Amino acid sequence: MECGGSPPLLRLPPKQPLTRAASRRLTNPPANRPTGKRVGEANVKAFLQGFAVGTLALILLSLLFLETGLVDIRADVAPSPLISRFLDIATHASVRRHAPALQSPLPLNDEQTVIAGGKLYLNDCVGCHGEPGKPSKFGATFYPPVSQLAQTPTRYSEAQIVWIATHGVRRSGMGAEGTSYSDPEYWRLAAFIRRLTQLPPNVLEAAKAPPATSTNSAQPQPDEKK
Amino acid sequence: MKNFLIGVVSPFILIPFVTIAYFALGFADTRSDVPPPAWETAIMKPAVRAAVKRSAANMSAPGAATEDSIIAGGKLYVRGCMGCHGEPGKPYAEDHANFPPIPQLPHVGTQYSEPEIYWIIKHGVRMTAMSAYGYAYKEDQLWSLAAFIRRIDKLTPEEIQTIQPQKH
Repeated sequence: MECGGSPPLLRLPPKQPLTRAASRRLTNPPANRPTGKRVGEANVKAFLQGFAVGTLALILLSLLFLETGLVDIRADVAPSPLISRFLDIATHASVRRHAPALQSPLPLNDEQTVIAGGKLYLNDCVGCHGEPGKPSKFGATFYPPVSQLAQTPTRYSEAQIVWIATHGVRRSGMGAEGTSYSDPEYWRLAAFIRRLTQLPPNVLEAAKAPPATSTNSAQPQPDEKK
Repeated sequence: MKNFLIGVVSPFILIPFVTIAYFALGFADTRSDVPPPAWETAIMKPAVRAAVKRSAANMSAPGAATEDSIIAGGKLYVRGCMGCHGEPGKPYAEDHANFPPIPQLPHVGTQYSEPEIYWIIKHGVRMTAMSAYGYAYKEDQLWSLAAFIRRIDKLTPEEIQTIQPQKH
């Protein structure tokens, strides 16, 4: 189709190496020579060369900063408000973009659903995410710190909570729970977490009531008595 | 020359801006059940290594590890670390739930020295599931944990037996 080469209209003048004198001539063209187009071209070329150098420099500087160990990696220093905000915005935006808007197979407002979710939560999640009136000390030792779901209401919908719990959150303490729970269990958990900051006292009581079957949590529990 | 300089400066403004926009608009994947791409591991692993090396550079263990301190560390490991980092003497069993993945120490061992391990346990590693355990252990416990973990891929069967919790 294009065997005739590029159309003659688009053919650019042959490029020549720019001597210093030539470039001076180009940037300050004599009044009698109409070289506006060539000046623009040289300007663009210089800009692009600079852009390439700048990009390379930025990458190299970033790598240098990282690989010489100048980054503070301690998790026991709280992230700055700016970083916290950025991480929160990025995570929220990503979950909104990626989590499928699934419909719950269970009635989420049903008290029994919430109570059943509460039982799971109080067994498995409470160690890091805290319970009403009792923020988790362990959760605070992560960077970024684990969100205290009983203190700060979640911004996520039930479907998004199911997605987060199933797949985890990269570069945080939140592991993917994967097949640890069945589909209805995930929805029960989500229903509970969604309502965690405004639970009617009887629901919380019912969730706390025995028998709380103990499934072992994946998180290590440091000996806090020591 | 002026255009060249404008060209050099503009990536320093443009690239951070585009990067922030990329994250803020939610394009970055948050799922932790996907292994990190090779390039990310290739950049981040040596970065953590270098940061730990720099931070723990002036530290030295209060004394040489003894068999007792190694066993004491092993008992702490079994109680506090094994759930994520793997059980000595058992087949490799990583649960692939975390990003970056959690090193299965009994199998891969560690490149870190004892002071470096001490420092990692105490302060944790930012942007990973490794939280800071400085509040949970006493100084000598941290050092015995470090002594144990340093040797975790070279334990004798007797040592593995000794650190198991006593069953009655």
